[in-house]
Amino acid sequence: MTAEVTTQLAQSEPALPEAVRASTAIVIAAFNEAGCIASVVRELRALSYPKVIVVDDGSPDATAEEARLAGATVLRHFVNRGQGAALQTGITYAVAHGAEIIVTFDADGQHDAADLPAMITPITRGEVHICLGSRFLDKRPEMPWLRRLVLRAAVVFMRVTSRVKLTDAHNGFRAFSRQAAQSVDIQLDRMAHASEIVDQFYQSRLPYREIPVRIRYTEYSLRKGQRSSAALRVAFDYLLGRLTR
Amino acid sequence: MNVFQGLVLMLFSLLAAVTLSAAFRGMVRKRIAFMWLAIWSVGGVAIIWPRSTVVIARSLGIGRGADLLLYVSVLLMLVGFFYVYGRFRRLDRQITVLVRRLAIDNAEREARDAGTREAGPNRTQDPAWSKDIS
Repeated sequence: MTAEVTTQLAQSEPALPEAVRASTAIVIAAFNEAGCIASVVRELRALSYPKVIVVDDGSPDATAEEARLAGATVLRHFVNRGQGAALQTGITYAVAHGAEIIVTFDADGQHDAADLPAMITPITRGEVHICLGSRFLDKRPEMPWLRRLVLRAAVVFMRVTSRVKLTDAHNGFRAFSRQAAQSVDIQLDRMAHASEIVDQFYQSRLPYREIPVRIRYTEYSLRKGQRSSAALRVAFDYLLGRLTR
Repeated sequence: MNVFQGLVLMLFSLLAAVTLSAAFRGMVRKRIAFMWLAIWSVGGVAIIWPRSTVVIARSLGIGRGADLLLYVSVLLMLVGFFYVYGRFRRLDRQITVLVRRLAIDNAEREARDAGTREAGPNRTQDPAWSKDIS
C-alpha cells in the first residue's frame, strides 16, 4: 500500500488532459485572505485550471476583488457564515454548473497545486470517487508539536465517532466526483464540517482513498489558520450537531 | 396570605390571562398554551399552599419542598436550553441557506451581465438546489 502510494507522489505523474482540467472546479473558501488569495488563484490558473471558484465568506477586506482580478469566479457571502457554509456554497455552485470533479483547496497557500494530478487521476480512472489529502500518509512533515498532537487527537476522535480510519482527519484538500458531491450537504457551518464531510462521504459508500499531499506551513498560514486551542470547540460543535440533527 | 403570596399570585393570574387570550386568538398552539397554564397553576398552588410541595417531595423521596422546586426548575431550564438551542440552530441554517442563495444568484447575474452566459441548469430540477430549500 505504502509503495503504491509513494509512486503516486512521484513527480512523474502525467499532466491531466485538458478536458479533465476544464471540467474540474476548484472551490476555495476564503475569509480575510486578501494578502494571499491572488497568488493561490494565479497558481491554479497558471496550471490551466479554468474553473476556480472563490467563496468570499463576508470578508471586510479586499478578498473578493483580489480573487476576481486573479481570474476566479467569486461568490460572496454577505455575512460571515463559516468555512463549512462557504464550501457548501462553492460545491453547490460547481455541481449546478456542470463540474465533473470538485476539489476543495485552502485559501492560505498551504496546499500545493502540484499535488492536483495525483488527487484527481484516481477519480478520472474510475478507481475511486473521493480522494482525501493527507499530510501524514508517508512522511512526517515539519510542524509545531502542539499542532501534531491536536491533529493526532482529531484522527482518534474520528475513529471513535465515525469509525472512519484516516491518517489526517482535518485536511482541507479533497477531490471528489460529481456523484460524491451530490451526497454532500454540509450543515455544520463552522470548522466541524471537516468531520461532517468525511461522515457524509463514508455514508455514501462511494470508494475513497487517501493521497499524500504536501502542506506548506508558512508563517502566514500558521497565523491565519486555526489555533490549536480551537480543537475542543470544534469537537463540541460536531457532537452537538450530531445530537440535534 | 402575606404580601409576597399576593403579589406572585397576581402575577401568575395575569400570565394565565395572557396565555388564555393568546390561545383564543390563535397566537400559540393549544398544546403549548395548556402547558403554560399548567405551569402557572402548579406555581399558584405552591404559592398559596407551600406545604403541598413537601407532600409531593416526600412521596418522591426528596426531603424538603424547596429541594423539589430546585430540582424541577433546573430540569425545566435544561429542557428550555435545548429547545432554544434547537431553534437557534434552525435559524442559523436558514440564514446560511439565504446567504448561499444570494451569493449564487448574484454571481450568476453578474456573469449574465458580463455577457458570459454559462449553460446554467434549470434550478428547480437540480437536486443540489432542492436539497437546500427543504
